[in-house]
Amino acid sequence: MNASVANAITPLCAVVPLLAAALIAPFTKHMPRWLSSCIAAGTSLAVCAMSVALVFYTSANGPVVHWMGGWLPRHTLALGISFTVDPIGAGLSAFIALLVFAATVYTWTKFDLVGTLFHSLLMAFLGSMCGYALTGDVFNMFVWFELMSAAAIALTAHKIEEAQAISGAINLAITNTIAGFIVLLGIGMIYARTDALNLAQIGEVLAQRPADALVLGGFALIVAGYFVKGAVMPFHFWLDDAHAVAPTPICILFSGIMVQVALYGVARVYWTMFSAVLSPQAHEIKALFLGLGIATALVGAIMAFAQRHLKRLLAFSTVSHSGMFVAAIGLFDASAAAAAALFVIAHGLIKSALFVCAGNYLNRFRSLDEQVLGGKGRQAPLNSALFIIGGVALAGMPPFAISAAKVLYDAAMKDHALFSIAGFMAFASAIDAGAVLRAGLHVTFGIGKGQITGFSPREEEPECDGPRLEATPWTMLAVPLALLAIAIWVGMSGTFWHGIERAAHAFVDRQYYFSAVLGNVHRALPPAPWEPRTAQDIAINLGVTAAAVIAAFAGLFRDHIPQMIAPIFGPPLKFLRGLHSGIFTDYVAYMVFGVAAYSTYLVIAAR
Amino acid sequence: MNEWGQWTLFFPYAVAFWLFVIGCFGITQSRNLIHTVLCLTVVQASTYMLLLSIDFHAQAGAPIFGSTNPPGSPSVDPILHALTLTDIVVGATVTALMLALTIQIHRRRGTIDPQRLRPMSE
Repeated sequence: MNASVANAITPLCAVVPLLAAALIAPFTKHMPRWLSSCIAAGTSLAVCAMSVALVFYTSANGPVVHWMGGWLPRHTLALGISFTVDPIGAGLSAFIALLVFAATVYTWTKFDLVGTLFHSLLMAFLGSMCGYALTGDVFNMFVWFELMSAAAIALTAHKIEEAQAISGAINLAITNTIAGFIVLLGIGMIYARTDALNLAQIGEVLAQRPADALVLGGFALIVAGYFVKGAVMPFHFWLDDAHAVAPTPICILFSGIMVQVALYGVARVYWTMFSAVLSPQAHEIKALFLGLGIATALVGAIMAFAQRHLKRLLAFSTVSHSGMFVAAIGLFDASAAAAAALFVIAHGLIKSALFVCAGNYLNRFRSLDEQVLGGKGRQAPLNSALFIIGGVALAGMPPFAISAAKVLYDAAMKDHALFSIAGFMAFASAIDAGAVLRAGLHVTFGIGKGQITGFSPREEEPECDGPRLEATPWTMLAVPLALLAIAIWVGMSGTFWHGIERAAHAFVDRQYYFSAVLGNVHRALPPAPWEPRTAQDIAINLGVTAAAVIAAFAGLFRDHIPQMIAPIFGPPLKFLRGLHSGIFTDYVAYMVFGVAAYSTYLVIAAR
Repeated sequence: MNEWGQWTLFFPYAVAFWLFVIGCFGITQSRNLIHTVLCLTVVQASTYMLLLSIDFHAQAGAPIFGSTNPPGSPSVDPILHALTLTDIVVGATVTALMLALTIQIHRRRGTIDPQRLRPMSE
């Protein structure tokens, strides 16, 4: 592939899905289902192929910069809007397209699509996420962010005849819209200082003067806005409400990638815009991110363990992983960024597989309630096996990808001598994987006592049209099988890890990014150190997995545990459950409090 | 510019802050989803206010050059106006979606009071 081809396909990653959305939408009454499915699947595969090609091209030849409409920069001054593609951005785009493809395969037969509008919205969602991953302009990032929200709202309310689904969509809509406005206020503050919107240009202008309250405030607002979609404490409340009611293929995309895409935005904005100007405050920002990461990871894990509704349980496990990603981003170095990138891919694959299995239970047994399902899983043996394997993989069992991510993660924590944080994260990970395993074991074998707390309707409408399913269609089982297989490949492939490590070293290099965008200097990825995993790493992985299994059995047979434990966990749990009220009015109050607290901390403590 | 004139330059930012806070307060107190959507537009008005006041100068005109103001004469920054217009479009999309959801939930549940729409009531 030569430079002009790479430059030409860069915008197509966002444009092709949007065109597909526009193509499907007007013909929703007339287009046969197979045709819209083929368009959606073909588009997502095409985006995936283009993005993978860009990963290889940018690794060998340096970032690709596409200036929209041919508005080239003049004298290192950006005039137009650019898509700036590096291997991390292109890799993220490829992974987004892969999960969208999985969602279209899942909906191939039986799934109740409501005309073909579902596919149209799905394509808009794909285009907006890819645009967000590839753009090099901070305002353009906001526009993709809002388009992502709009598509997400409509997709959550896909089952429009269910009041629950609409409530979940309203919670998502209000919190994420305010998040968008918070981001925009931050962008306005940064623009007031720099007169620039290009990420590279802003970074260069900001670096010329020490940070003051305006820059810190802008940083705080942009980050807080992205944290809302990234489901970080105290902004994560919309997530479980939306997941509990969204159709399964949408849960795949929310948990698998949308939340992580927002956190990628935080990392991208930090490294390109703020890494130079905020270096004197790096210590305080690191403390903030690590603190938020630990709090989010623990709250998510504990809330996951206290759920009986399978999708809600998995949603809280995503919250918990968000905390782990934020802590990794907050270490602000290349190895930690590599750990976060690999972790996002690993988690996306495994969590998507788990959501598909939960959706299959819903379609077979008209319920997602652990109590109602208890023991019924035997009638769907393959699905139950995949669910339990997914739970073990989530705990970090080798050879699945999360084990590899955790090796890098622990190594990054070790570099900073943050053993206690690695320990907290291992604990959170054991608890939330334990919750998944507990639910899987109870649903499959009916052993022990399932979780009885947590909100869950006894019976739910299945997502398939037509008569009750006697067996799950093979497409719906092929998806988790394929995702887990890819997860094994990612976990085994040393080349893959090393590639991510190298890409992350370029990702955190502001000069590398700046010289590609405005200096027109394109360098191939620099080499990066890499150590293969040792027997000790595998022992730690197995240890965490064992802890998750112990947590699962402790949950199932909690009646046999001495009663002295209950008073320790009871009151905090009751308090946490009270916070998750399900009403957006409360969530907005927490959000405003959170934004005020972040901004005040950054502006005062970090000066 | 006199001292009072200096202070008036801060006034739009104070209004932007006030609109954001009062809009969010309105949402937390809301007992009607239509009211919530309107509060959301109040929050959004704070972004318009901030963006438009960033490059405001009393002497500068619109960035449309002609015989009375030749190219090079003082004008405000057109980029901020473009950002505001984009922001308005984004806001209109969300408002339309929210109102559609409100109509639908009224059909299903017969109420649009968020306090009575608790999804997690056990």
